[in-house]
Amino acid sequence: MTSWPPLLVLFVLTPLVGAVLTPAVSDTSGRRSWEWALGTMLLTSAMAGALIMRVLDEGPFSYVVGGWVAPYGIELRFDEFSAFVAVVCLLGLLAVIFSRHYARDALAPGRIPYYYTLLLLNMTGMIGFIVTGDLFNLYVFMEILSLSAYALVAISGEKTAEMAAFKYLVMGAVSSLSILFGVGLLYALTGSLNMADVTGRLAGSAEAPLVLAFAALTLGFMVKSALFPLHIWLPDAHAIAPSPVSAVLSGLVVKVGILGMLRVYQIAYGSGAIDLSGLNLMLTWLGAISIVMGAFFAVFQDDIKMMLAYSTISNIGYIVMGLGLASPYSLIGASVHVFNHALIKATLFLGAGALIHQTGRRTLTGLAGVGRSMPLTTAAVSIGAISIVGIPPTAGFLCKWYIALGAMQAEEPLFAVALVFGALLIFVYYIRMVNAFYFRKPQEAGAPAVHEAPATMLVPVLILAALCLVMGVLGRLPLSFIEPAVTRLLAPLGGG
Amino acid sequence: MEVVDARVALAPAISLLCGALVFAAADNTFWRRFWSVSAALAKLGIVMSMLPGSLRGVVYTFDLVEFTPGVGLAFRADALGMFFSVVSSTLWLFTTVYAIGYMEREPNRRRFFGFFALCVSTTVGVAFAENLLTMFLFYETLTICTYPLVIHDETPEAMRAGRTYLVYTLTGGAFVLLGSIWTYQLAGTMTLSQPGILSMEAGRTTLTALFVCLIAGFGVKAAIMPLHGWLPTAMVAPTPVSALLHAVAVVKVGAFGVLRTIYNVFGVELLRELGVCDWLAALAAVTIVTASIIAIFQDNFKRRLAFSTISQLSYIVLGAALLSPLAATAAIVHIANQAFAKITMFFVAGSIQRTTGKTTIHELAGIGYRMPYTMGAFTVAALSFIGIPLFAGFVTKWYLSLGALESDRWIYALVMLGSALLNAAYWLPIVYTAFFKAPHEEVVVQEAHWTMLGPTLACAAYVLLLGMTVSVPGMPFALAQAAVTFVFGM
Repeated sequence: MTSWPPLLVLFVLTPLVGAVLTPAVSDTSGRRSWEWALGTMLLTSAMAGALIMRVLDEGPFSYVVGGWVAPYGIELRFDEFSAFVAVVCLLGLLAVIFSRHYARDALAPGRIPYYYTLLLLNMTGMIGFIVTGDLFNLYVFMEILSLSAYALVAISGEKTAEMAAFKYLVMGAVSSLSILFGVGLLYALTGSLNMADVTGRLAGSAEAPLVLAFAALTLGFMVKSALFPLHIWLPDAHAIAPSPVSAVLSGLVVKVGILGMLRVYQIAYGSGAIDLSGLNLMLTWLGAISIVMGAFFAVFQDDIKMMLAYSTISNIGYIVMGLGLASPYSLIGASVHVFNHALIKATLFLGAGALIHQTGRRTLTGLAGVGRSMPLTTAAVSIGAISIVGIPPTAGFLCKWYIALGAMQAEEPLFAVALVFGALLIFVYYIRMVNAFYFRKPQEAGAPAVHEAPATMLVPVLILAALCLVMGVLGRLPLSFIEPAVTRLLAPLGGG
Repeated sequence: MEVVDARVALAPAISLLCGALVFAAADNTFWRRFWSVSAALAKLGIVMSMLPGSLRGVVYTFDLVEFTPGVGLAFRADALGMFFSVVSSTLWLFTTVYAIGYMEREPNRRRFFGFFALCVSTTVGVAFAENLLTMFLFYETLTICTYPLVIHDETPEAMRAGRTYLVYTLTGGAFVLLGSIWTYQLAGTMTLSQPGILSMEAGRTTLTALFVCLIAGFGVKAAIMPLHGWLPTAMVAPTPVSALLHAVAVVKVGAFGVLRTIYNVFGVELLRELGVCDWLAALAAVTIVTASIIAIFQDNFKRRLAFSTISQLSYIVLGAALLSPLAATAAIVHIANQAFAKITMFFVAGSIQRTTGKTTIHELAGIGYRMPYTMGAFTVAALSFIGIPLFAGFVTKWYLSLGALESDRWIYALVMLGSALLNAAYWLPIVYTAFFKAPHEEVVVQEAHWTMLGPTLACAAYVLLLGMTVSVPGMPFALAQAAVTFVFGM
């Protein structure tokens, strides 16, 4: 069953069909659309599980749609980096569960079915982006993903949300164009859109257009992943979106840029047509600056979601720095941090969502003392905070450790310094948060009797917090899982 | 002989649990006290139960979790770790009892005692850390757990001191982490169970940079000048906290880290070849003398104690940096000697402050008539610092001077002599003021409450005990010698 070939294409189609049908099956209360979305996500998650089992067994595999052989037809490809779909499906599932009460309270009833449609479309784009082996499809799925993300940010219909979504749209559209331009150039150079095929044909191409193509792709993907100084769209969009959407955006959608970069690297390293050391140097520096700047801005935020949004920028900095260092350790660390950051940030955003939903306050000042009335949620958020700082034995530790080791391995100890001091700043602002939860007195005036969120909100948060701990203790598993992919990626460079 | 034994992990864990229970006890005074004392007692019990084995040469180990090969959390109670944990857990019990008396009417006692108990846990965690990562984890946790204690009064001054404290210690911690990563990259391991894991292959420049990185990291808490700035400002904390910071936990953890770096990360042989320890020794000697001179001019009682601490800690650093077995013995035993004497003094300062409200030295005229036992205890501690035989401080000075001569650096023996004079110059005037100056007001004998007087006298008694029983088998001194034998491969 796990090796049944069409499973891969069904995997992409299931959430798409589910998304399109959601408005049709929904009723006025929005309850049916929730059940439908939940069912779709459960089915998709089961498929993701089966596919990952297969890649564990036999390594990367691909499926040619309609039987048209690779360079001519469309190829879907599943490798170790694609295992990111596991966390995509998990977060999608938990975000849907979390939305049951949240959406009912935060959105107009008429918008609820469309909310789930957009969420499922977002998943489709994400999954398609990850498993496609075709450059043009990569672009198409990225657009599905981005367009649904813009709409999700704006879905509450408030003025600030619309402004944030518009800002996101402008930046996103420019970056998409840049990526399309890069894809077009590669097509012009090689006459092919299949990634593996392009890789084979690139050798010997003229250098100038090649550099332009990779520059355009990198620029586009860096905007998508909000690398400093292209991050300006992110804080508003992530802070203003509904919390389950923030979790998906921060955990998954920004990773599109990173996964896109990994695909670019696969092409560039594999073809050997271009020397990326200049690009790597730039990415390493921008990554280091992102870490520090993101953390620095986060320290001054009072709005809890704004703080988390800036924290995403600094974590993307870690990942990009790991990519740029291009040593085996740092690449392993960065790839695993793509997974782990998704889990951790989802814990934090969903937890923050539960706190905001129950208390109606979103600033640290307003949330003072909330640890007494919502002990489970605040405990989960605290675990998330410890993880994101990178304190052992939680999920954030090993990735950052590997990235730091990678910096040493690449003989760039300076970047290990940036990493450690960035972590220190991150630590400072999460300490502020934990301090507010537990050790500050609640604001006296108008504090309503607050209690824990309903189970549909609490349980996803607790599951994610538990995963932060489990992934810390069993941190070795994802590392050894991703190692073959990194080894393959770096193999053309002569053992790295 | 190595034995796998869960007690090494249990020692930090049990205080952690008690700390949580203190928080859970909320505002119930009885249960708060019960769990606070239990935390101290349980840990002391566990540590003491390992002492006989440790004296026989048994090393207890316990691996908690391994993330990837060579990177994990693990505990190991070797001679050096046992020595430190015996000292800290003994003192903890006294400090807890004292704190219960001292903090009687203070607000926020739940937060205070909760974090107080967590500090026990982390200090023993540092003592028993098997590798640099575990050590770093507890080292940083200790910083976090002591911060609420430093800012306890929540006055603007206290908040400012707290910020200074955090900036210094967290930056130091970052250096420790950086050094740990670097060590792992160079040696492929971070274990502290060997007499040195690095080798000259890494290159002289790299090793020197790494040494500076680790020593600067640990040196912040060990208050080596010029990294000592946080310590005098942190004096705004309640007195039991100062005692904790200065004698038991924070500064000792720093000094312990320096010892681990020198003996277990680099190893004596490598450092002799590298030659960086000469610089460290010189820095320590400068710290000893400078801090003592500053101390002479302090009129605030606690500030004088603070600068004395800075000076005394560098005895440990100097002893370690001399790289001779005798000096190493001095460094290790001084962890205990300084701790017991200094904590006695802090207890005295706190008792005087609580009983009479006096905080400066010139106010203390005739206080010896009013609080004879308290000031008697102070005199014992002062004589120990000066280094009079029969008192604990003498043992340190004797071995440190011998070590200086052994390594052909007689200048440091002179530093010891000079320091003894300086100590006399700032301690004896207090004794003189207390006993020989006419009191300002009518004399009524008025000692502090027994919860405060008891620990003071017990610690003073320990100072005498440590000074007189050096060669008695079964005393911690034997552990220090075992540690020295191990690291010097004798």
